[in-house]
Amino acid sequence: MTDVKRTWLKNAFWETPTKELLNAISEHKEGFKDVRQVHKLKRGDPLFDECVEELTLEFIDKNTDDRVNRKFKEQEQQRQLEINKRKAQKLEELFNYKLETFEIEDIKESKNRILKSKLRRSKSIPEVNLYAIMIIQDKLENETE
Amino acid sequence: MKPSKGYLVVASKKPNFYSLAINCIESIKDYYPDAKCCLVTEEKFLDGREYVADDLIFCDDHYRAKLWGMANSPYDITMYIDADAEIEHEDIATVFDELDGNDMMFHELDKKYNKVYAVKYFTYENVKEYYTYCGGVCLYDMRNPLVKDFMNDWNDLFRKQYSRELILPMDPWQLLWNFDQTTLWYLLNKVDKYKNIKVDSFKDNLRWNYFPHYERFFNVFPKDPIIIRHYSSYAQKDKSYA
Repeated sequence: MTDVKRTWLKNAFWETPTKELLNAISEHKEGFKDVRQVHKLKRGDPLFDECVEELTLEFIDKNTDDRVNRKFKEQEQQRQLEINKRKAQKLEELFNYKLETFEIEDIKESKNRILKSKLRRSKSIPEVNLYAIMIIQDKLENETE
Repeated sequence: MKPSKGYLVVASKKPNFYSLAINCIESIKDYYPDAKCCLVTEEKFLDGREYVADDLIFCDDHYRAKLWGMANSPYDITMYIDADAEIEHEDIATVFDELDGNDMMFHELDKKYNKVYAVKYFTYENVKEYYTYCGGVCLYDMRNPLVKDFMNDWNDLFRKQYSRELILPMDPWQLLWNFDQTTLWYLLNKVDKYKNIKVDSFKDNLRWNYFPHYERFFNVFPKDPIIIRHYSSYAQKDKSYA
């Protein structure tokens, strides 16, 4: 095994904070073939020492930190996209709900531009319902006057 | 004499579009009560709510009567807005300043966001091309006769394209034939008559036509508050659409 001349890719990182398990990728030649191997190396494994010696402890530490930060950032972006996705979906649902509310006959016929505008600007379904009731009340009052 | 300026919204084919158009016009007036608004729609859709529009024009039931409506705007300078959009900011009143010496202004389809666009790339005579502008909003000045011709040609050509009378050397045509953007791209890029027409996109592009997809997939927002938000789900809910 030690006869094989390996090069270690500069992306090795610690799998655990105790630095007992190292994730690393090596490349070597087998005849005309280039072989690339992914390793999970435990301390005590000769390849573990070979890799640390070639890449240095400092480099692996730094790469691990960079990787954690990068992963954290990616996770944060993903989380933000999920939040936005839900927000955008809720906004579309609210828009559809408002349009359906505007189709209610008494609301359709109402000429109260102020209340209709308030309904359109509502930020939630309960708020839409509230203005819908107010529009209908306003219409009924106008009819009885 | 000062040019007349107004907003144009079109509702044809689908009854839901009439409701959307009314909502769109009312939302313009929520933020700009003095705005002049023209509703182009089919007579059969009228239900009393059309009073909100200052001008009313009847169109046929074509899938893209919007193009006919745009060509027949009663205003010198028109801001066309798709019916499934809603206004969210008083800066809607400033839209006519955006023209800034141009003949037409559109929302630009930024390549960065092309994964959400229905069609991204295509070929014209085997050369790779992409759509530059979206026809969802359009500010245009018909005091220039060339713009009037352009709007008429856009309508005429699209109708031919839609009825399969016209097939452009574009690929994949089966995905392009029913887009008015296809005709728009062709007129702006391949018709000599319009090569000197001054076209540009809105400076703060996202403010003037914000799709929910921009938030959903890219977490991008304009620097200043959104003016026009473009929905599409309610329009799609109408099963009567052929």
